[in-house]
Amino acid sequence: MAFAQLADEDLMQLVRRGDAAAFEAVYDRHATAAFSLAYRMTGTRNTAEDVVQEAFLSLWRSGARYDRTRGSVRTWVLGIVHNRAIDALRRSMVHDRRRASDEGIEERFEARERTDVEAARRDEARDVRQALGTLPAEQCKVIELAYFGGFTHSEIASMLDTPIGTVKGRMRLGLEKLRGQLGGLAEAMT
Amino acid sequence: MTACARRDDAGSYVLHALPDDEHERFEAHLATCADCRREVADLQVAADTLPLAAVQVGPPPELRDRIMSIVRSEAQLLAAAGEGADGPTGAPAARAPRARRRWSLSLRPLPAAMAASALVAAGVIGGIVLTGADDTKTVTGTVQIASAPAARASLQLSDDATKLQVRRMPPPPAGKVYQVWLKRPNQDPAPTTALFRTDRSGSADVEIQRGRLKGVDQVLVTAEPDGGSMKPTSAPVIVASAA
Repeated sequence: MAFAQLADEDLMQLVRRGDAAAFEAVYDRHATAAFSLAYRMTGTRNTAEDVVQEAFLSLWRSGARYDRTRGSVRTWVLGIVHNRAIDALRRSMVHDRRRASDEGIEERFEARERTDVEAARRDEARDVRQALGTLPAEQCKVIELAYFGGFTHSEIASMLDTPIGTVKGRMRLGLEKLRGQLGGLAEAMT
Repeated sequence: MTACARRDDAGSYVLHALPDDEHERFEAHLATCADCRREVADLQVAADTLPLAAVQVGPPPELRDRIMSIVRSEAQLLAAAGEGADGPTGAPAARAPRARRRWSLSLRPLPAAMAASALVAAGVIGGIVLTGADDTKTVTGTVQIASAPAARASLQLSDDATKLQVRRMPPPPAGKVYQVWLKRPNQDPAPTTALFRTDRSGSADVEIQRGRLKGVDQVLVTAEPDGGSMKPTSAPVIVASAA
């Protein structure tokens, strides 16, 4: 079967029936995005590998829970990775060791840009980073600490010596602005 | 425009930045507040783009090999289990996902399978049945690991799923994984794809299959080589009555 021709959602139907080759195709499509997110969050290669392995095995074993009406497979996969990475961070308390710079990561682990798809995703990544960069610094900060750092709003409030209510408000306002700037891309993710 | 005082929680919620207790309270609130549900839906769209901001880093090929080795083994077990099995249901080698990760009211599907858990002890307790308000029956299993007298195992039987929960269980021997088996009267134990390891505290929560077991009188757990076995290669470390 030409799995490369199948849409993610069709592959997931095969995965939930235990088709390992279909799962392999899903992995190949989304492993880079998954590993990138895990590495960005945990900052250590070994932990990122553990998170990605845990997340994809979870996907393999719980494929029946994927609901195409609730979003793309890619978003679902990255949601699993995000949850697993947060759990790993809060379990091992590696927050302080996490923050390698993006530039450093690229120098050490430069992803191969083998396909047009990967090139397009690099463009998407650039767009999101640029959009984050246009947010007021205090809004961008709390979003990054929460999403990539795995910190709770109370932890962030303590770190920044800012009232919790202010932190919550910055998160919401920042996300609203982000959505406005990334409207097309955001809709394409769903 | 929403006037709900809890509107600001929506941002924290989609970023997973609410502490567990607040997360649960907010989910309960969402059930009754259309404004906040709409706010969450709007903000979730933005949150979903955030993973793209990470520098794209290729995973090592060894990771792919490791994952596919496990998946292919489980796919074989699944095929061997026949039509009675409805999909791979084993659990990853880790603790159960936090309750707050269930996203029961969020806009995304349940993110993960139940994580692993398991067994063991000195064969003291067995067969205690409790019936919850939701018709979930809990059966205490017998853990047969003499070196782990505090280990506990229980089986949770409901229309929704059949699950195994273990606490204070030692990890399987090096190179081994725990595997769940279903024993029917006068038959050899049938393999399942429920493979698991325990977390650091010895806990695991394993979904054996969706729905209730049919015709099964015992659920067994053995330590098997990585990837599982078609027939048990060691004596059960957990025995639970499912009848």
